[in-house]
Amino acid sequence: MITGAALCPSPPLLCPELTGGRAVAPELRAACREAVGRLLREDPEVVVIIGPAAASGPWFGGGRLNPSIFAPAIAGTGSDSPPLAIGLGSMLLDQAGYRGRRRLQAVGYDEAASVCVKLGAELDDPSVRMALLVIGDGSARRSLKAPGYLDPRAEAFDAECERAIRTGDLGALQRLDQTLARDLMATGWPAWQVLSGALAPLNPVAEVLFSGAPFGVGYLVAYLNPCSLSAREAWLSSAIGTLLSEDDQQTLLKAAAIMNRIADSRPRQARGT
Amino acid sequence: MSAGKAFRDMSPIDMTTASGTGRPRAGRPPRALRLNRRTFEPCQLLVMAIVNRTPDSFYQPGMTWDQEAAMDRVHAAVVDGADIVDIGGVPARPGDDVDVREEIRRTVPFIAAVREAYPDLVISVDTWRHEVGREACAAGADLLNDSWGGWDTRLVEVAAEFGTGVVCSHAGHLPPRTRPFRVAYPDVVEDVLTGTLALAARALEVGVEEERILIDPAHDFGKNTWHSLEITRRLGELVATGWPVLVSLSNKDFVGETLDVMVDERLAGTLGTTAVSAWLGARVFRAHHVRETRHVLTMVSAIRGDTPPACAVRGLA
Repeated sequence: MITGAALCPSPPLLCPELTGGRAVAPELRAACREAVGRLLREDPEVVVIIGPAAASGPWFGGGRLNPSIFAPAIAGTGSDSPPLAIGLGSMLLDQAGYRGRRRLQAVGYDEAASVCVKLGAELDDPSVRMALLVIGDGSARRSLKAPGYLDPRAEAFDAECERAIRTGDLGALQRLDQTLARDLMATGWPAWQVLSGALAPLNPVAEVLFSGAPFGVGYLVAYLNPCSLSAREAWLSSAIGTLLSEDDQQTLLKAAAIMNRIADSRPRQARGT
Repeated sequence: MSAGKAFRDMSPIDMTTASGTGRPRAGRPPRALRLNRRTFEPCQLLVMAIVNRTPDSFYQPGMTWDQEAAMDRVHAAVVDGADIVDIGGVPARPGDDVDVREEIRRTVPFIAAVREAYPDLVISVDTWRHEVGREACAAGADLLNDSWGGWDTRLVEVAAEFGTGVVCSHAGHLPPRTRPFRVAYPDVVEDVLTGTLALAARALEVGVEEERILIDPAHDFGKNTWHSLEITRRLGELVATGWPVLVSLSNKDFVGETLDVMVDERLAGTLGTTAVSAWLGARVFRAHHVRETRHVLTMVSAIRGDTPPACAVRGLA
């Protein structure tokens, strides 16, 4: 069961050691902390980090980013660095104090959309409480000073991605053109496809915690909460069990049963099932 | 496939294991440098004055866009102690397209005019394109400053054909006029060495004279600030190859980010880096501030004992 998904970008500057004396992009860092914090509050048994990389596949090496590849003056980890997105995802989990199980999943920059979506769809395992930490960046061509210089199409592209996430319309991510994404240096494209494959059927409710391009690269931070019946039931019973007296629990469970019947009676298409 | 092409197509990881580049592993003594009709010994530190024939370069954009202003700049640079002028028609940063024809229009007639005014001045042309290099050499250029690391593999052949010099630089495998985006190196200096030495080997192979080849680590090209600081700190490893090392530090972003200052406040940082680089053995310094750079280099030469003070009477009377 997927308990939730956090979407974060992967600029190396998220790594505090890399940006020197001044705290760079504090709002972005805070938003990533918040998204990962919410992910972990669902008490997942495993967190799957999904990150774009040169090639698809599970990453079995260490997840720890080696900062010395970006800043030689900083002592390295002494081992090969994982792909940037995987390494930064691992760092965010470390910063949140997460000590549980992790799975590191790379997805190739040039992977076909159908492959990415399938990868996402096959992640879910009903017997395991699984959280997704999806790492992906918008266009690196958002301004004149952007790494890729200004492309006038970049803003609309990132805006559509944000709209799809914000409204939970994850199917729309699959309609973002791969060639355009490549032209716009939107390296998050394959990760968005995986996210879409994993969560679109669950009709998630999303909250965007950061959206902007302070350095000319589109950064989007969001937390997505799946609205499936099973997820809601699991949440309800766990909340009820810890918070309420036995009498109140009975009352609430009755209310929940009524709510679920109402939810079930809604047209299936509208619930995305 | 030519060696230059092979270099360009390799990923950074491949580069670290590339072999057959003719790179000397042990230190080699520095060579003399010959440009135009002049020979510069290893102890001589040279200022290369930047003259941009562009409306949109990052430092004082448009200052020498006008030909008359550009010629005034050359006169001033010569008076201030420049040994070389580096004339460029295309900014390094991305922006409006400048095609071959326009680049030639911006640079070549001006090179001809400078040649006529200063027969012995070393004239460098800052270009990556062989078509521009050819016209520039025909107009009197002595050095092809290929800032984009051999992107156009035919440029070096122009140097061989005209008997001019060439700068072999490390642009981090990026195409011309692009910015670094999350660049990472297992060892940036190793990558610089492998890349520049492969280009130098190719220059030799196509017939450029050994004493007319320089190498340039190319600060900020395909590098973040940490990488540029690292290549400065370890410049001695480049110097140890024996090739004359050119550094282009002037007012660059790594200075700006290190000091947290905008482009018009980077002179002190530039000059500090210039002094360190000279001390570590760099020999050619591409600069906006010619007089100040010349002063720094003269101080370094005097501290090293290569040149005496201009006038020493204090305590000696």
